[in-house]
Amino acid sequence: MTMTLIETKTLGAAAASLEFTSIPQDGTDLLIKASLRHDGSNATGIYISFNGNILNFSAIYINALSPNTPTSAPLARYIGSSTDDVTANVFSSTEIYIPNYSGSGNKSYSTENVTENNAVGAYQNLVAGLWSNTSPITSFSLATTSNNWRAGSTISLYKITKGSDGIVTTS
Amino acid sequence: MPTPTYTPLATVTLGASASSVTFSSIPATYRDLILITSGQSLTNAVDALVVRLNSDTGSNYSFVFMEGTGSGSGNSSSGTTTYIPAGITGTAQTDNLIQIMDYSATDKHTTTISRGNHAGNRTRAIAGRWANTSAVNTIRLFTEAGTNFTSGSTFSLYGVIA
Repeated sequence: MTMTLIETKTLGAAAASLEFTSIPQDGTDLLIKASLRHDGSNATGIYISFNGNILNFSAIYINALSPNTPTSAPLARYIGSSTDDVTANVFSSTEIYIPNYSGSGNKSYSTENVTENNAVGAYQNLVAGLWSNTSPITSFSLATTSNNWRAGSTISLYKITKGSDGIVTTS
Repeated sequence: MPTPTYTPLATVTLGASASSVTFSSIPATYRDLILITSGQSLTNAVDALVVRLNSDTGSNYSFVFMEGTGSGSGNSSSGTTTYIPAGITGTAQTDNLIQIMDYSATDKHTTTISRGNHAGNRTRAIAGRWANTSAVNTIRLFTEAGTNFTSGSTFSLYGVIA
């Protein structure tokens, strides 16, 4: 099985960020699944950092907020929106895919994200991101600009490894 | 012991620029296929990364996509193309995640869902269909404009068991 769970973290108490460190370098790609809720009163952005860096990021998102026309803008480090405290027991859902995280090129990533509540302000986001840095990714964190993650927020990290079945040929 | 569900079938890392990458002799033993690309192409700032199945060059493909360019949103569709524009490439780092659903079934057309990402230009979500009931055994990737993929670009194919 080449899609392997590295670790899952669930917050037992509120925290400003969710982090993974010492990410093993024997995978090809990383997949992150996050279930997040913050303590603010409005949906807010989720921001990623790699290896403790917040510089040299670029990103473009397309964002749907029914019934409005989708909007798109550049917003560095943005990977989607987090659910707020408006509706009890609701968390946002996010997937982040990072190809070639241990390679020597710049690190691009793809995210999909949804929030939900019983009022207005439920978002869907698709994001293309790039960290213009050739260092292997050994750690990352997810945070908002000013809020804490609620207890119960969960994040899981998987690694995916390339290989060959010996049957499929390439040219 | 969990059942393996995500099996690596083949990976290509280009040692020199190339106009296309082809995966062939794909066994029909999985439910879905996932194709991950990471890299760049020459000449054009942005270009479509396109997929052709089983070497079918007829107008048997259809697609619809939505995209955000950082300054606005857009969409496009066609029912008579000779490939599926399943991703994005260009002269900066890009990545694409392409899922080919139920590829070995012979009682339905093959459908794809994919994401194309170019952080300096646009992000795109695409649905595609190949109007053919044959099992997919060959996938060819190339750029819509005919430019080359750069050396170092990677293409990985995985099989997923339902």
